[in-house]
Formats: sequence, structure tokens, C-alpha cells
Amino acid sequence: MPMLTDTVEAPTGAASRVRPTVLKKREHTVEIVSDSGEGAQRCGQIFGAVSAKMGNGVWTVEIIPAEIQPPARIPEGASGYRIRVGTGPVTNWGDATNLALAFNEQVLLARHRLNALADDAILLVEDKWATHEDADIRAAWVAAMEELSTRHYRIIPVPMEVECLRLVDNPRKGKNMFALGMLARIYGRDTDRIKDQIAFTFRKKSEDVYKTNVELFERGFAWAEHNVDVRIDVAPQQSADALVVMNGNEAIALGAIASGMDLCAMYPITPATSVSHLLSEVFEKFGGIVHQAEDEIAACGVAIGASYAGKVAFTVTSGPGLALKTEFLGAAIMTEIPLVLVDVQRGGPSTGLPTKVEQSDLWAALYASPGDAPHIVIAPATIEECFHVMVTARRLAETFRTVVMVLSDANLATGMTPFKRPAPDAAWQAAPLDLSAVPEGTKAYQWDAQTGLSRRILPGQANGMYTLTTLSHDEGSKVAYSSGVHQRSSAARSRKLAVLQSLLSPPPVYGEASGDLLVVGWGSTKGAIEEAVDRLRADGLKVSSLHLRFLSPMEPGLKPIFQKFKKVVTVELNYSDEVGDPYVTDENRRRGQLAWLLRASTLVDVDCWTRVPGEPLRPGSIVDAIKDRMPKGGAK
Amino acid sequence: MQSDPRVQQALAALDRPIAEFRALLEGALRQAELFLAEQQADEPARVARAAATLGQFGAARIDATRFAALQPGASRADKTSLDALRRALDVLHQMHARGDGLFVAEVVEGAKLGAVVESALSFIGWAFGAIIVTDLVRGGRYVPAEHESLLDPLGFGGWSRSERRAAPPVIVRVAGHAVRATDLASYADGHVKLVLIVDGACAPAPLARLITPGTFVLQTTDGAGLDRVARFDGPAFAAVLPPGAATFVHDPVLGREPWQRLTVTHIPEAPKKAIGAMSTWQMLEELKQLADLARTPFVVPAAGGAGAPAMGASDAADRIASWLLAQSGLGGTT
Amino acid sequence: MTITCGLLPVLEPEEQDHSYEMSDYEGARARWCPGCGDHSILAAVQKLLAAEQLPPERTMFVSGIGCSSRFPHYLKTYGFHGIHGRALPVATGIKLNRPDLDIFVVMGDGDCTSIGAGHWIHALRYNLDIVVMLLDNGIYGLTKNQTSPTTPQGHPSNTQPHGSWLPSLNPLSTALGVTNASFVAQTAEWVPAHLYATLRAARRHKGLSFVRILQRCPVYSSAVYMKAVQDPNRIALLVHDDGVVVPELEKVYKNVVAHDPHDLAAARRVADNMDHVHLGVLFADPSRPRYEDLRRVAPRTAEERLTLLEAELDRYAV
Repeated sequence: MPMLTDTVEAPTGAASRVRPTVLKKREHTVEIVSDSGEGAQRCGQIFGAVSAKMGNGVWTVEIIPAEIQPPARIPEGASGYRIRVGTGPVTNWGDATNLALAFNEQVLLARHRLNALADDAILLVEDKWATHEDADIRAAWVAAMEELSTRHYRIIPVPMEVECLRLVDNPRKGKNMFALGMLARIYGRDTDRIKDQIAFTFRKKSEDVYKTNVELFERGFAWAEHNVDVRIDVAPQQSADALVVMNGNEAIALGAIASGMDLCAMYPITPATSVSHLLSEVFEKFGGIVHQAEDEIAACGVAIGASYAGKVAFTVTSGPGLALKTEFLGAAIMTEIPLVLVDVQRGGPSTGLPTKVEQSDLWAALYASPGDAPHIVIAPATIEECFHVMVTARRLAETFRTVVMVLSDANLATGMTPFKRPAPDAAWQAAPLDLSAVPEGTKAYQWDAQTGLSRRILPGQANGMYTLTTLSHDEGSKVAYSSGVHQRSSAARSRKLAVLQSLLSPPPVYGEASGDLLVVGWGSTKGAIEEAVDRLRADGLKVSSLHLRFLSPMEPGLKPIFQKFKKVVTVELNYSDEVGDPYVTDENRRRGQLAWLLRASTLVDVDCWTRVPGEPLRPGSIVDAIKDRMPKGGAK
Repeated sequence: MQSDPRVQQALAALDRPIAEFRALLEGALRQAELFLAEQQADEPARVARAAATLGQFGAARIDATRFAALQPGASRADKTSLDALRRALDVLHQMHARGDGLFVAEVVEGAKLGAVVESALSFIGWAFGAIIVTDLVRGGRYVPAEHESLLDPLGFGGWSRSERRAAPPVIVRVAGHAVRATDLASYADGHVKLVLIVDGACAPAPLARLITPGTFVLQTTDGAGLDRVARFDGPAFAAVLPPGAATFVHDPVLGREPWQRLTVTHIPEAPKKAIGAMSTWQMLEELKQLADLARTPFVVPAAGGAGAPAMGASDAADRIASWLLAQSGLGGTT
Repeated sequence: MTITCGLLPVLEPEEQDHSYEMSDYEGARARWCPGCGDHSILAAVQKLLAAEQLPPERTMFVSGIGCSSRFPHYLKTYGFHGIHGRALPVATGIKLNRPDLDIFVVMGDGDCTSIGAGHWIHALRYNLDIVVMLLDNGIYGLTKNQTSPTTPQGHPSNTQPHGSWLPSLNPLSTALGVTNASFVAQTAEWVPAHLYATLRAARRHKGLSFVRILQRCPVYSSAVYMKAVQDPNRIALLVHDDGVVVPELEKVYKNVVAHDPHDLAAARRVADNMDHVHLGVLFADPSRPRYEDLRRVAPRTAEERLTLLEAELDRYAV
């Protein structure tokens, strides 16, 4: 770590140009925080997009306030954007922020209290509050500086408002572009690309709006040029592949289009809704529609009705919505109607943490419905996979005539990162509907004795007329009145999962195939886990990891893999009891959701380390936790 | 021909029904090609196809060979059937290759409007036959003696009810003197939609004779209302006429009575000279027919009648009717 | 919208000269109780299907759960016997994907006005071109005698043995209160000619046709409609050329009211008027926007979609 000077003269006046220190970094994490509505997110988005376009690895995370319209200048109101920039690919949000730019000291305090800032972080903060006419505000500033001084931060006051007022009347609308200018100077970003991005951001506004924003940007750039004595150089590395940069919800929306699906039925719910925002904008030109239903239940029902009558449809929701849909999910599974359901997980239970990430819907997704309701559950691990998983989900739903749940989460949904541009293939859209004439006497479910698979019959096909029923039924969709039918039909529905599992290969191990400890994860934690494994291995520990995409059916071959390690630990973003907590014993300990499943399916004594911090896991935290759990007698 | 801005305007207004027909063609083509490929395919090709449909996420984790084995295999077709399938595919490819041209026709000098429409529809009818052949072959039900004729163009008279409902719109460019509504009447069925783009002197209300309770009829001089043709759930006729022609729209969903359905926005004077085969009397008769249909009743029907407008002859159509009657020397009856 | 399903009518053409008999629509033998009004409704529906010559393979009956929801099993068309209260969302999905299908929704009073009431309100507003029949016997029959929202006040049941606490919900005024509702009618299963004529008017209406069918349950709520059945003077027929006119009934039912179904205010007055049981079309307006028309989009071929998708990806290109 290159050292920063301990003390800094507050730079003043445009005339005193300083000779900057250039810090070369493999990666750096920067964030912009403000009160809600001051545009910090927009500033961060542009910074992130331009960094990606320049060839840097990028992972961005939204900092979302707990309230919709929080009062100004309170720590709970901190809203913003965090960007981790690297020379190589960046797979997760990292550990702590190295440079923060704050519009007031209270939001900065919030970040400090969350442990979000590195001990040696550089903090640029609007300084007008120090001299504010309101004595309480001045006092708050002093108290905040006092609290911040407990760490080795380097604080640089910035007269943002004073500077902005030279150009605009209302600095609340414009500070963000000034901030962008400062960051562009400090990080040496390509100004032409930024101006292009500003033009794109304000494409629906007038030319004057664009010009004003560019002027503010340039002023911020010039101010940093003259007043900030540090430059951070994270060298870009041009990728050989064409790349796209988007968030996970956008990837799901575009993946759905690529898969050829053309009906999305939904009800607004955070953090899933933005999938439908993008689709609502573009879907119709692809021949598709977004149906905003009257409630979550109806959204599921409409998707099921549409799927039953033709090409598979999908619905997008989050935890509380999943809960409401469960009766319909059972209906679709019982009647073997294909359906794709995307659950963008948030903190739960109940309303929980609507904007924050969690992986605690796994059990709800697996069990979904009362009664025995076998269905497929898959989880993309990266934003790129959010795109591609939709094609597979549709195909599996139609092949296996069942519900396919796709578990994403708020980290994937709102994080943004560049990935290899997908090369859409017409085969992805293939309609596997067999429209050839239905032979007379064909039954509604001609279950194959081996696989349980059967041909779908669609309304409109002569000879196929049958009444689908959610009551237990036989091959002919006749209500089960005799004993044995329910056993047989349950077996046919269940068999399909065994068949799918037989097609899967054992998952690859990241790192050595044997060792002291194997970390197992699923979903959005892959990047953080693998980065932690890299660090642990660099420290000489024999740690590997394994990431699961198929959770129902469970991926095959796990037990032999587990047996090559002394210890297996899941790392998850959900709640589990800690051993040693009052009343908690090994017997009654409630474990992480994946850990529970793995114990059941492998009979291996799988341990877990899980947290519900309302934010993505930090690789550093995983490193610490794993070190703590290394088996006795292991290396080091 | 397709570069005519009015043709472009009509194609744009009729985008949805055209796209629906195109999708139907594509669906049939895709299924037939897949079936043919299956006949010739070796194992690796089958597996590669299965893997492709799984997408990247699935292909990376799912064994494509075993996945392919789960897909219901295509039945084996004999050589005669496969030959028929290939011919059917040729027809469908030909249609596909025509692009928008499939939906646009032109009445050249000396040709008859009716014949041009019939030929355009016969060509489209060929697609239906070809589609059915692909399905018969796939289902192993193709019998040459019985089904061979399906691979010939099919005049509209032979179309089934469903085919008439699946008919795409046809846009016809025609000279004014060649417009004869009676040539078109027999196509008022299913979802057939015919749009005439008319050049040169033309009778002022050539489509008035096509108004029947369930047929959408539109005359326009600027293309306004063509989008309603696309939306109407039934047969429709429209004409984009030179300026000065009568303009009206007859929309069956608007009510039970002719005056509820018909909105006349302009009625010109009857031409003083014959146009093409149309005499001045015939053209006046068409204008009168239009005015008659548009005229609101004077007396509110007995209890239970639909909400007829209040009494009075202030309605524009009534005034037009009075004027027309005066023109023809038959005034005094109102 | 579904590309390939557009092919089905072409692949399975209706023959110009084929005609369907009532027996072509017969499914399993109906298992309702003897004397149940549902039998009469089933007969009227079969007659309607034959009269309108609806191809059985292109006709769908969607139901929820309840006695009346067994309806689809007793017809030889496509049927969707779904879950309690949720027939309308399913029907909405089917119609959005397949506007070519003729869809009938069959619900009981519990299904429609209680557990599925939210969907009912919104379906009326969507105004899809489907027929929605509320088979209203004022009681939960399948689960053996519990109070429903339309149970008359004071009528005892297993859940409210001292009589229903609340005044009953009026499905007609509720339906007429929904913005964009386009067809609201009431008929009774014990007047088969009227039932048939009303269902025919509903089927021919373009838009969601909501028909409340008064239906006797001989086991649990036989008293509910007893007076109206026994005394024709309790009934008033609403007649209009744009509604339902069954001249032969006017010999039995002397109260004949000329009612213009285009007049919403009058329809609401009729719905609230408890002096008589009104049978007929209260309201009909075929010009109201239909959701499936508003949402109908041009399908795109796979190649077109690929081109458009590349353009979309360009927006995200680095």
C-alpha cells in the first residue's frame, strides 16, 4: 500500500496548482454519497459506465437509503453509488471504499459507521456545512469530524456549492456533475466518453440541460486539477471480446427476449420491478408484452394461463410476491404447465429489507407449495449468467413441463459489470411446441414410464380436448377416485427431476480438488467467495470452493467431492445460528439454507458461515471467517 | 410500386396482420425444416441442435447427448412424402422471399381488378396448402393421391373458414377507371382485408356498394383510418382515393343501425361524365346509397329502441341527402 | 402472439360444411346433486355451443373451485379446472396469448365475489372478450353449507348458524360500478329460455360479458330463490332489441320493463331496485376498449428479433 501524506493543506483558490502524487493501483473502490435526490447515483453510473468502456473491470453497487424520501443530512438518508474499478475483471463489490466523495458530512458518517470506508480512505466532502449559518449544523459538522478522526482517513474539504453557484442557481441539481468532473480528473477518465454518456443520460432533455451539465462537469474537473494533490491510476486493459455493461435485471430482461418468450406478467415489487421497466420500454417491438396484473397472484395466474395455451410465459417477483404465488405454483406443477418464475431476492422475512440483498428465499423457492410439488430451481451466479439463464429456464420448463424458478438477488439486480457480449442464436427461440395433429385417443399426460415426460397438448388441437384439473388426476386428466392414482402421478412428476439430475455433470472445483476446507456457495456470492479463496490460497491455506447453479435437482457428485476435504463450509447471505450463542447447540442449531440441503442430500457434516448484513458479502470478511473455521491440524 | 408512399403508409398501418401472417409462414417453415433436418441428421447434428437450444447457461452444465435423447424423435417419412415436403418448403420459401411484395399487387392497364385480387389471394392460398402438406408429412399422414393438389395455388373460393380468417391484407394499386366494387364483393369473408390505392379519375364513392352490416368499409383521401382496418375483427375494404372523392367509414362495431355505423365526412358532387364503365347515373346512385345509409331516423323508435338522436334535419348527412335528391330531381320526399 | 399457435387454425381447419350437434359437446356425466340448478345451465350452454357452432377444440371453459367449477368436466371442449377464486387471471392469460379461442369462465359466488373478488373487479375493467358466468346459489355447497357474500341476510349456515350477519353483496351493482365494464346481465336457471337467450347475447357481445345466473341449491339454500320461482310476479323482464327479448315468456311474466342497456344510470337503478328480481341485460356497450385489442402487438420472426436484440445490446456495448 503506497502511503499518503498524513496532513494536507486544504487546497484553496484555483490559482494554486499542486503537483499531484500518482498512486498506481490494480484496483480501487470509489463511492459518491449524498442525500436522496441529489444525483449521486447518476454521477456514479456515468463514472462506472465510462470506466467499463475504457477497459477497466468494474463492479458497481447502489447505496440505497432506508426511506423513500428521508430528511436531509441524516446518516440514514445516505444514497449513492459505489464503484470498484480494476485493471482485470472485477467480480464483486470488494471490501471497503478507498475514496469517497460526499455531499455532506452526515452521509459520510453513515458510511463510516457501516465500516464501509478503508482506514486510509481519502474523503472529499462538501465543506459549506462547516460555516453554515445554522449553529446546530456547524456543531454537527464539528462532531462528525471528531468522530471521523478516530480513523486514518484523509479528509479533503471541497467548496462544491460555492463553485456550482458560479454556473447555476440551484446547486442541488448540478453538484453531481461537478463531482463527476472531480472524479474524472482524479482517476484520469476519458472526458469525451463522459460527455457522450452525459448526452445519453440527458437524451430526453433539452440541449441547454446538456450544456449546463457539461459546464459543471468541466468546472469540477478543473477544480480537482488545481486543488487535489492525488491521482489514482488504475490502468485499463482492453478486452479481446466485445463487451456489454448492464445490471442483472437488465440482463434478465434481455435474456428473456433472447429466449423467445413474449409474455411477462408481473406486479411491482422491489427489487424485481426494473426487469419490467426495461421490458415495458422495448418488449412490444419484439412482439411481446408486459402485463401488469392487479396483484402477485394474478400475475402468476396470467403467466400460467398464457403458458398453458402456448409459448411459455414468465413472471418476476421478490420474496413477498413469491409467498403470494405459491398456490398457483402448486397448480402449475400439478397440471404440468411450464412456467418461468424469477425471484430477485431481498432481505426477509415479510417486508424485510426491500432494497437489500439476501439469499434467504432458497427454502421458500424449493418448497414453494404445500403438498409434494417437484420443480426446478436454478441460480445464476453472475450478471452475465442472469442473461443466459433465461434461455435455459424456458427450455427446461418446456422440456420438463414444470415450473422453473430462477433465483437472482438484489446484488445481481442492481450491480453493474461488463461481460462478454452475448451472441444471440435463433435456436434459443425455437418453439418446442409440437403442433402436429394429436392422434385420436391421446391422453392429456402420456407419462413415459421411464422419464415421466409427456407431450403437451394445446387448446386448438382437435382430438386433444381434455379438462385440465388441479385435483389429483390420472393420465387422462380424470380426477383420481381410486387408490394408487395419486401415488403413480406423484411419481411421474417427481421422476422428471431425477431425469434432469442425470443430465448434469458434477460442478467444477475452484482451486485444488482436495484440501483442508471447501467453501460451497450459490448465487451472487461467487465473485466474493472466489476472491477470498484466492487470498487464502495466497496465504498458503488449502482452501477451494464450489459454486452451485442447480439447487433442485441438486447437482450430482457432491459427496465424493466433499470427501476430498477435511471440512466443508457453506458461505451464504442468510441467517444461521452461531455455535456458542445462548441455547444454541449442535443439535438445535439452525443452519444456512444451503448447508441444510447439502447435509440432507450428502450426509456430510457441512458447516456454514452466513450473515445478513443487508449488503453483499465482502471478500475480506469471508477470508476472516474461513480462517476462523480452518480445521485443526490444517496447514498454517 | 412499393416505393409509392401511399403503399408504404398502408403497409405500415397493416403491420400487425401482415406480421401475423408472416409469423405463421415462419412457424411452418421452421417446423418443416427441422423435420427435414431430423430425417437426414446424424447423432452429432442432433446433439448440437439440442445443445444450441439450451443456451449457454444450460449447455455448460447439461449433457447435450442425453438431453437430445429426451426429445421426442421425428417419425421416418418415405421418399414420396419427403419430396412433397421439399416442394411445400419451396413454396413457403418463395413466399418468404417475396417480403412485402406478397401483400402488394398492381392492376396494370387492361387487367381487371377482380382478376388481380384473385391471383394475389390464390398465391397466398398456395401457402395454406403448403403448410398443411408439411403437417401431413410430419404426422405421417400424407397420401399423394389425396393431398397432391394442396401444392397448387388455391383460389379464394376453395379456402376454408380458418384460412379466410388467417388471410393477410392485400394492397392493390389500381387506376380509378378500373375500380369495380362488384369485383370485390365475393371476398367479404373471414378476415380478408383489401386496400385499394387509386390513381387518376375515379368514381366518387366506389366502395359504397360494399357496405353490409358486418363489413368494415373505408374511403379516405389521405390514408386516415387505415389503422382501423388492421384492427377490425372481420372483412374490410378500404380505398385511398384521389382528393375530392367521398370520404366515409363504415364500422360494424358501432351499432345495429346503418346510421350508427356509418360516418360520412365528405360527399362531393356527382361527376358530369362517365368514368371507365361507370355511368353518371351509377355514380350518383352510389352517392345516394351512401347518404341514405348515413341518414339518421327522424322518429325515435317505439319504447325499447336504441337511443336515436333527437328529431331534426340538422344532421350533415341529411342535408347532403336533401341536396343529392334535389340534384337528381327526386326532391320533396323529405 | 405466440408465433406457432397462429398456425393451429390452419392446420386444423374447420370444414365449411361440418356442423356440430349438442352431443358433440357432451363430456363426462354431470355429478351435481339431483335438482341442482347447474344441470339446467349446462344444458343451456350446450345448446348455445351447438347453435353458435363453436368448434369444441377452440372453445375453453375456465373455472375455479366449487360445485359449479366442475362445469368444464362435463363438456367436451378444452377445460381448465383451476384453483379457488383464480379462474379470471388464468382466462386473462389464455386470452392474451390466444385471442383465437372462445373463452367461457364459470364461477360460483364464493369464487367470484369472495376469494376472487379482486380479480373480478379487475377483469371487468380489462374487458377481455370472454363470457363470465357467475352461478350464484348464495351458499358454499361443495364444502357443505357455509355463508357466502351473496347469502341473504339472516339465512343460516354452518358458519353463521344464527343467520348471515350482513346484508348480502349485490353482484350487479358491484359490476356496474367498475369502470370499463361493458356487459352486465342477470338471468335464472329455472327460466331456460331466458337463460339461453341471455347467454347468447353475452357470447355475441364484444367484450367481457358478466352474467349473474340465479341458481338454486336444493340442499343448502333452497329457500333463497323460492319466492321468485313460485311467484312469476316477483320477476321483472328487462326487454330491449339490444338486450334480450323472449316474447313467449311475457305470457308468464307479466312485469315487462323496457330498459335500454346503453343507459348506465338506468342500469344502476335497476340493479339496486329490490322490488323485483330483474332478468335481462342491464348494461351493454360494445364500444368500450378491450384489453386484448389494446395489447395486441405484431409478432416478430426469429430473425427480426435477433436483429432488434443486437440493436438493443448495442445500447449496452462497452
